[in-house]
Amino acid sequence: MEEVSAKVLLFATLREKYGVKELYVKCDGTVRNLIENAASTIGESFFNDVYDDSVEKVRDNLIFLINGRNIRDIKGKVKIKESDEIAIFPPVAGG
Amino acid sequence: MNGGKMFGGFVGKILKVDLTTKTINTEPINEKIAKNYLGGKGYATYLLYQYLKEYESEGITPKDINALDPENVLIFATGPGTGILGFPSSGRYHVMALKSPLTGSIGSANSGGEWGPFLKFSGFDAIVIQGASDTPVYLEVVNGNAEIRDAKDLWGKNTFDTTRILKKKVEGKNTSVTCIGPAGENMVYMACIVNDEHRAAGRTGLGAVMGSKKLKAIVVSGTGKVPVAEPERFEELSKRFLDAMKKNPVTGEGLPTYGTAVLVNIINKSGVFPYRNWQTGVNPDAESISGETLAEKYLVKRRACWGCTIGCGRVTSVKSGPFQILYSEGPEYETVWALGSSTAVKDLDAIVKANHYCDELGMDPISLGSTIAAAMELNEKGYVPAEELQGLDLKFGNAAALVEAVWRTAYKTGFGKYLALGSRKLCELYGHPELSMSVKGLEMPAYEPRGVKGMGLNYATANRGGCHVTGYTIAPEIAGIPEKIDPLTTEGKAKWVKIFQDFTCVVNSTVNCLFDTFALSAKDYTEILSAVTGWNFSEEEILKIGERIYNLERVILNKFGFNGKDDTLPSRLLKEPMPEGPAKGHVVELEKMKEEYYKLRGWVNGTPTPEKLKELGIRL
Repeated sequence: MEEVSAKVLLFATLREKYGVKELYVKCDGTVRNLIENAASTIGESFFNDVYDDSVEKVRDNLIFLINGRNIRDIKGKVKIKESDEIAIFPPVAGG
Repeated sequence: MNGGKMFGGFVGKILKVDLTTKTINTEPINEKIAKNYLGGKGYATYLLYQYLKEYESEGITPKDINALDPENVLIFATGPGTGILGFPSSGRYHVMALKSPLTGSIGSANSGGEWGPFLKFSGFDAIVIQGASDTPVYLEVVNGNAEIRDAKDLWGKNTFDTTRILKKKVEGKNTSVTCIGPAGENMVYMACIVNDEHRAAGRTGLGAVMGSKKLKAIVVSGTGKVPVAEPERFEELSKRFLDAMKKNPVTGEGLPTYGTAVLVNIINKSGVFPYRNWQTGVNPDAESISGETLAEKYLVKRRACWGCTIGCGRVTSVKSGPFQILYSEGPEYETVWALGSSTAVKDLDAIVKANHYCDELGMDPISLGSTIAAAMELNEKGYVPAEELQGLDLKFGNAAALVEAVWRTAYKTGFGKYLALGSRKLCELYGHPELSMSVKGLEMPAYEPRGVKGMGLNYATANRGGCHVTGYTIAPEIAGIPEKIDPLTTEGKAKWVKIFQDFTCVVNSTVNCLFDTFALSAKDYTEILSAVTGWNFSEEEILKIGERIYNLERVILNKFGFNGKDDTLPSRLLKEPMPEGPAKGHVVELEKMKEEYYKLRGWVNGTPTPEKLKELGIRL
């Protein structure tokens, strides 16, 4: 698989926990690999915080945006492309 | 016990004050009305409709009623949840008026703090204000007694001073003040009512209605208790629901840690954070005004409303510089957006200060910020003669002009007298009504419907005008609560909007905080309302109550001449495609959704059919 690089942005409690606002992550284009590689840089627990390996998808209670679109709204197989922006939010709402 | 009958949740009395004749009466809570409309917004809407009918029988038609004339009726109302410790987030009250100066239709607003519960402890579920005084007065309600007192010495004072003076005068446990500032006295159309110094019944200009009646404040104090019909059942439910709220990631962690401004980055990254008077939905400087920045640089501590376990309120300070303020509260998400993103001001110091002035002078920051943003666009496009601005450099991004505009509006000085009219009248005045980002005259809050279609339908059909909390579809469309739906599609949105609008009526009539619905369902509300009142509601009946309230409110709108033509959005959102971001190219396909919505509602041209009204038991 072709290697791509994506910008990953963390917000709220995730930003606080890992002390990182943004990082560039190389991956094979799959969401799992992106999160796995991010975890190897910022902390192993990040993988479990974001990805549910038992059902092989991003945890439903997170807001996981790929170029502004929630991963749960994207139809078909999700593929990370070169220079994509991934914004990850813990479960928050209000306003 | 309540008036000899067994029902809980109410202390049983409504205080009726006529400021023209200076008479005070009480009337009992009517069990049948309370069963059909609960309290708060529902009971108040019912009463307003009766006043409207009474006026009609006297030959006064709805169009004869001016928002700022003595005929207008103002109601402060609590609900069956208010003031019961253990009832989730029940420290709120609702305010309604027959007519809002901003919209020309029914006025409605809601506030937290302590005032709502303390009104109940003072012995009353609601206060109805009629008429108008010739001279400034305030109302003092202490342990079942009410008196109209002279407020000449208070007139002209800001909301903080007014609150402190009255709290000192009326000493005692559970004392709270709700009042207006100079903006309300000057009848600025977006003036609000401020209680406990930093909590406000913000929307639809109800502070101006209070000002027109020369009613400066209402101070309440008391040691009463609210009866609960089934205490054991209530205790069990309370424990379960408070535990659920604590464990819920939104009510237990997100809101307590970051407050509502945590939404700034989410909404901006979703491409629906209105920027520069809604010219786009992406703000390049959102991070500098975000909840994360607020928590890092400005937050002093949290402040919760009475009985609330969430505690989303922020105590903040600006430590130095031209916008220094050593104690303030907020800003909330909506305020950050209206005073910041809508105006393209990225200096959070200035936004905190402008928000502080809104509390101090008594103005709704959503309508004010939006009106200033509209003025900025009018000015940048060359539609405002320079001499009329009198040195106010209203350009997008100008932080100093933003703060100055807040003062000028409250005192209606210079260009402030035009800003004080709200964005709709301001833009009409300068020949460009299309630049007012409002619905039915009320400025829309911080979600761009070109990228959140359900919110577009909600804004268009919300009874009080451009309002997000009438039907908060951001929960499913953005946050995925209770389930995720795609914000860019129109399918099924009518159903969601109707459910949210109806259920929100239940929440506002209970009266408690909308935020607890992130953790609690309609079924939970049904159970706890049944335990408190002793009336065994079914879930279907509870939702029917919400629908009944929404329809009766719509009947009042219809009487003021509003119908389907008013259920619309600014042309920018219907015709100009979103220029960038994830919603690039999108407009709101409103008509399609509206048709489905009216069908679900049983409405024709924005008007409930006689069959629908009969089904809901509404007798005209």
